[in-house]
Amino acid sequence: MTVLSIASLTLHEMIRRRLILVAAILTVLVALLTGFAFHALATKLYHGQPLPHVQVLGIAAQLLTLVAYMFSLIFALGGAFVAAPALAGDVDTGLLLPVLTRPVRRVDIVLGKFLGLCAFLSVYAFACGLLEFAVVRATTGYWPPHPFVALGYLCGVAIVMVSVTMLFASRLSMVASGVAAVVLYGVAWIVGVASDIGASAHIQAMVDAGTISQLILPSDAFWRTAVYHLEPAALIARLHGNAPFMVAAPPPLPMLLWSFGWIVVVVAAACWSFATRDF
Amino acid sequence: MQPACADLAIDVAHLAKSYGRIDAVSDVSLQIARGETFGFLGPNGAGKTTSVKMLLGLARPTGGGGTLLGRPLGDRRARAKVGYLPELFRYHDWMTAREELAFHAGLAGVPHADRAREIDGILDLVGLTRRANDRIGTYSKGMQQRVGIGVALLGSPEIVFLDEPTSALDPVGRRDVREMVRALKARGTSVFLNSHLLSEVEQTCDRVAIVDRGRIVAAGPLAEVVGGATGVRLRLGALDEAAFAVLRRYGSVAASGEWQTVAGVAREAVPALVRELAAGGVEIYAVEPLTATLEQRFMEVMDA
Repeated sequence: MTVLSIASLTLHEMIRRRLILVAAILTVLVALLTGFAFHALATKLYHGQPLPHVQVLGIAAQLLTLVAYMFSLIFALGGAFVAAPALAGDVDTGLLLPVLTRPVRRVDIVLGKFLGLCAFLSVYAFACGLLEFAVVRATTGYWPPHPFVALGYLCGVAIVMVSVTMLFASRLSMVASGVAAVVLYGVAWIVGVASDIGASAHIQAMVDAGTISQLILPSDAFWRTAVYHLEPAALIARLHGNAPFMVAAPPPLPMLLWSFGWIVVVVAAACWSFATRDF
Repeated sequence: MQPACADLAIDVAHLAKSYGRIDAVSDVSLQIARGETFGFLGPNGAGKTTSVKMLLGLARPTGGGGTLLGRPLGDRRARAKVGYLPELFRYHDWMTAREELAFHAGLAGVPHADRAREIDGILDLVGLTRRANDRIGTYSKGMQQRVGIGVALLGSPEIVFLDEPTSALDPVGRRDVREMVRALKARGTSVFLNSHLLSEVEQTCDRVAIVDRGRIVAAGPLAEVVGGATGVRLRLGALDEAAFAVLRRYGSVAASGEWQTVAGVAREAVPALVRELAAGGVEIYAVEPLTATLEQRFMEVMDA
């Protein structure tokens, strides 16, 4: 019950601190701006004629992967920004001291905060993702092939970041844990891009570096799987290998299984680390 | 006489805590009876807060050990009956006081049916009924400390740890806390009071311990730690050399008008001194035994 109580407290805090309100307003603004761009694409005249519908759909599909990347970046950084204060911030300020002297298990506090943050980020990801897809459909008629699966994997990006940030936050200060997680994410992403370049240039060491980076922080694996499920089959067929914002083939199943297992292991490590520390 | 083990709220021996090469606490042994009000004193950095954190299971001792409410330090079942006000208190500033108390009531396992009544009672006790539905972020520091005291009193704890409970309070608030501590004692709750305000400890505690550089340097009943009379102040008529000789035999004499202060006289020796002066024909108008304050004793211990 303590887990649910802490998860509920975490969600309430997001609402009371107007985080959800701010996120909702900004999401609507983003949807309006991108809607304007997609509308321009669909109604643009070339030599007095609008683009053929098939071409509009193809361009919309590619643009949508770019928008999805923007959202994955927001979810990833958002995950780090909310997880660091949720655990380390409460330790730094002393807010957790009277809570920890209650008959509660420290593991329950970590799990409660983890679940609360994941619930918040998942609802946010699905809400703004579906809004964006609806805008693209209304303006261009394009609807991605597997929107819910793609959004689920985008949630995975956020959950990976929450997990690793909570692991850092179980021992480090709020600022240190947030920065460490964001740096790790940035490195994982750029190594992923380098890996694609390495694959195109047949440089095995660069490909291996990408694999190792995905093993250490599987945010890139989730991102690639999400993009793959957003791309129409016609687009995938035209791709010759992965590009920074496009994916010809999703990560292999063992890598996905590793990624899900990684979340379990890292959250367990965060629980152990928090349970065995001094305050 | 030490209380029997079953009657002890706290029973720890040789508690120690090191952070690398720094010894925050070297040797703290305490036996505190249930229902006792105990004062824990010491200068900044003496190891008071670290000791309290070890007692509460917030920090693991690197040496020694013991029990809290009959269970090993850090045991969850013992924590069900503990209240704690930290020195650096902080509560959810986006919550109201009533919500904060309800959150802690849930964690403390207060039955649902009793929560509203208990929370109302505590809000009244700490004087926050009128502002109970305002956000804590809008409270003054003193009001936030009252929230903290309320949180510590939730769930009918058997022992309450108050770490500097009046640091943010005005004189009225301090008086209220003293009365609260007395009320807790009256209902049999142990109170572990960690305070720099020695006068408060003096007014509320049964026993005290003075800790310095991680070790307990003095401990016992308040009167015992403070010591007995350290002198006597007398308002006397004209004194001849023989009368002065009598005074000097009991201690060092300092005169101020009609008043003579004799330092170093034990409380039990005062009647004999008065009898001798009266037998020598000295007119005695007033006799005031001087008692050391806890502050004086604290300073003596620190200087030593």
